[in-house]
Amino acid sequence: MKNAVYLLAIAVLALGLYSFEVRNENKQLERTIHAQYTNALTTASETLTTLHTSVNQSLLFQDQNALNTELDNIWRLSDQLRASISSLPLSREVANNWMRYIGNIGEEARLAAEKGDYEAWHEKMTVVGSNLRTLSNEWEVATSRYFEHDGDFSKWQRTINDETEQDQFKNIAQNLKTYSETDFPLTASESDWLKKRELQNLDDKEITKEQAIAVLEKIVPDLKEAAYTVTKSRDDAPYPFYHIQFVKGSRIGYADITVKGGHILSFLSERPVQEENNVSQQDIRELTERYMKNAGYEDVQIVEFRENHEAYHIATARVYGEDNAYVYPDGIQLKISKDSGELLGLNAMEYVQKETIKEQPVKEIDWKQFFRPGTFVEEERMIYTENKLFELRLCYEVIARYDNELNETFRVVVDAETHDVIKVEYMM
Amino acid sequence: MIRRLLMTIVLVLGIFGIASSIDQSQEVHAFSDRLLERGSSGDDVIELQARLQWLGFYNGKIDGIFGYGTYWALRNFQQQWGIGVDGILGPTTKTNLVRASQYHGEWVRQQIAQGNRFTHYGNTPLAQQTKAGAGSNGGGGQNNATTVQLPVKYSERDLQLMANAVYGEARGEPYEGQVAVAAVILNRLESPDFPNTISEIIFQPRAFTAVADGQIWLTPNERAKQAVLDAMNGWDPTENALYYFNPKTATSSWIWSRPQIKQIGEHIFCY
Repeated sequence: MKNAVYLLAIAVLALGLYSFEVRNENKQLERTIHAQYTNALTTASETLTTLHTSVNQSLLFQDQNALNTELDNIWRLSDQLRASISSLPLSREVANNWMRYIGNIGEEARLAAEKGDYEAWHEKMTVVGSNLRTLSNEWEVATSRYFEHDGDFSKWQRTINDETEQDQFKNIAQNLKTYSETDFPLTASESDWLKKRELQNLDDKEITKEQAIAVLEKIVPDLKEAAYTVTKSRDDAPYPFYHIQFVKGSRIGYADITVKGGHILSFLSERPVQEENNVSQQDIRELTERYMKNAGYEDVQIVEFRENHEAYHIATARVYGEDNAYVYPDGIQLKISKDSGELLGLNAMEYVQKETIKEQPVKEIDWKQFFRPGTFVEEERMIYTENKLFELRLCYEVIARYDNELNETFRVVVDAETHDVIKVEYMM
Repeated sequence: MIRRLLMTIVLVLGIFGIASSIDQSQEVHAFSDRLLERGSSGDDVIELQARLQWLGFYNGKIDGIFGYGTYWALRNFQQQWGIGVDGILGPTTKTNLVRASQYHGEWVRQQIAQGNRFTHYGNTPLAQQTKAGAGSNGGGGQNNATTVQLPVKYSERDLQLMANAVYGEARGEPYEGQVAVAAVILNRLESPDFPNTISEIIFQPRAFTAVADGQIWLTPNERAKQAVLDAMNGWDPTENALYYFNPKTATSSWIWSRPQIKQIGEHIFCY
C-alpha cells in the first residue's frame, strides 16, 4: 500500500513537471507568433502610411529625376507592403483585394517610369492618393484591436478569428474591390488575355458526351473500351466542358473536352511505369510527331524536351509565317512514357484558342553592340511571346553564351521592333 | 639486324594489339546504345560529363542532366577531335571519347550516392578531388535518383516544397486531384491577388490546412512529386482555378460564394 502511494506520488509529480514543461513551451511559441504577427502588422501599417505619403509626394514633381526617384520608392514600397500583407492572418478576401490594389499601384509606377508617361500617372494618382488616405484611416481603426491585449494571446486569437465579421474589415474589403475596379480598369490587352483564358470566343457547335469520348479515343486509341464516367463542368465555369474520367487495366486518368467544338483541353493518364528504358530520344521525337499528326495538330514543332525518371515531357509551339517563328503562347505539351512510348498526357489548353497575330515591323539588331565582348550569340530565331502588358510581340530569341569556364548560357528575348528586353533566362 | 628489326615490329604490333583490345573492352563497358542530346538525363549522361571533365572540357556539376554546359563541352570536344560538331553523342563521338578518356564509374556513383562534392579531372588523383557533404558548386554531385528536369522558371526547392504541400493536402485524392492542387498553387503565382513566390503562397496564413495542421512536414511520396512535375510542365486539371475546398467540411460562406468549375475527388475547384 505504502509503495503504491509512493509510486502514485512520483507519477503525479512527473506528470505535473511534464505539463509544466509543455505549458511553458506553448507559451513561448505563442509569444513568438504574437511578436511576429504584431511586427508584420506594424510594418504593414507603417509601409501603408509611407506609400500614401510617397504617392502624394509624386504629385509634387514635374522634374523627371525627382519624379523617377519617387516612382522607384513607390514600386519598392508596394512590393514590401504586399509581402507584409501576405504574411498576416487576414481573411482571404481582405488579403486578396489588398494585394491586387497595392500591386496595381506598384505596376503603374514601374510603367510610368519606363514609358515616361508622367501625365497619365499624375491624373490617375490624384484619385488613388485620396483613396489610399481613406483606406489608411479605415485600416488604422480596423487593426487597433490587435494592439489592445497586452500580450494576451487568447484574446488576440479571438480577434483574428472574428475579424471577418467586423464591419471595419468588411468595409475595407468592399472599398478595395471598388477602388481596384475604378482606379485600375483592365486595359484592352488584359481584357483580351482574360477572354482567351476563359475561351469566350469559342462558338463551335456543341457536342454530346459520346462524341467527347470519341474525340478522346481518336487521340488515344489505346483507351477504346475503357470504363468512362463523364460529368459536365459546373454552371459557373467560364466555358462548358466535359470532364471524362476513365479506367482501363492499370490506367486511370481524365480528359477535359470543350462542349463547344469538342476541343481537347488536357488529358492525363496514370499507370505504373517499368524501370526499363526501351525508347530512345529519337523514337520520342518521331512518336511526338505521330501523336501530334493523329490529333490534328499540323502546325506545331518540338521546342523543348526533358527526360525525367519515368517519362519525357515535351513542349511544342505553333509555327507561323515566313520566318517559321515559334508562337510560344500557342503551345501544346506532351508526356510520353519511357518504357513503351505510350502517350500519358497531352495539354492543349493554350492552343485551343490561337493568338491573333498582327503585323509588326522588324528592326535589325547588332548583337556585337547589344552584348558585352565575350558573349557569343550561338542561336537566333524569331518568336512570338507576350510582354508584361500581355501584348503578343514578335521578338528575337537568342541563345547567348558567356565565354567563361562554365560556358554560362542565357536565353534572351528582345522585342523585334522596340529592342526592349522582354525576358532573360539562365539556362542550366 | 633483320632479326632484331622483326622482333621490334612484332613487339610494337603486340603492344598496339593489347592497347586496342583495352580500348575495345572499354567500348563494350562504356555507355548504352542510345544517342544523347540536350534534354537527356541518367547514368549515360553522368558518364559523358565525367569523361568530358577527365579531358578538361567540362567544368560543371556531374549531375546526369544534359544541359547547355554539357552541350558546349561536347561540341568543343568534337571540334578538337575533328568530328562533325553537332552537340549529340553518337557512335563516332562515343568511340573517340572512350578512347581519349577514362571513367571511374564505381567511384563516381559512390560519390553521388554519398552526396559528396567531387570532380573527375584526369590530371589530379581522384582521392584529392572529393569532399564529404553535398555541394552545389563546381563539380559537386547529387543523388541521381532524385534528379529531375524542370522548366527553367522552377527550382528543385520549389518542387520539393510543392510536393510537401500536395502530399499534405491531397495524398488520399486521385492523381488528377493531386495535379490539381499543384496547379492551384501555380495559378496563384500568376495571379496579382497572391504573393510572388511559391514559398510565400504555400505559407500564407490560412491558405492551406496542411500548413495549419502540420501535415505539410510529412515526407512526400514519388506520386506527389510526379503530380507537381506534371503541373509544372503545364497540366492544369482545374481549368485555371485559384481555390478549392472540401464541401463536407468547408464552413466559410465566402468560399461557397466563389464561382465553381469542377469537382475532383473530395475537392471542388473554383475561381
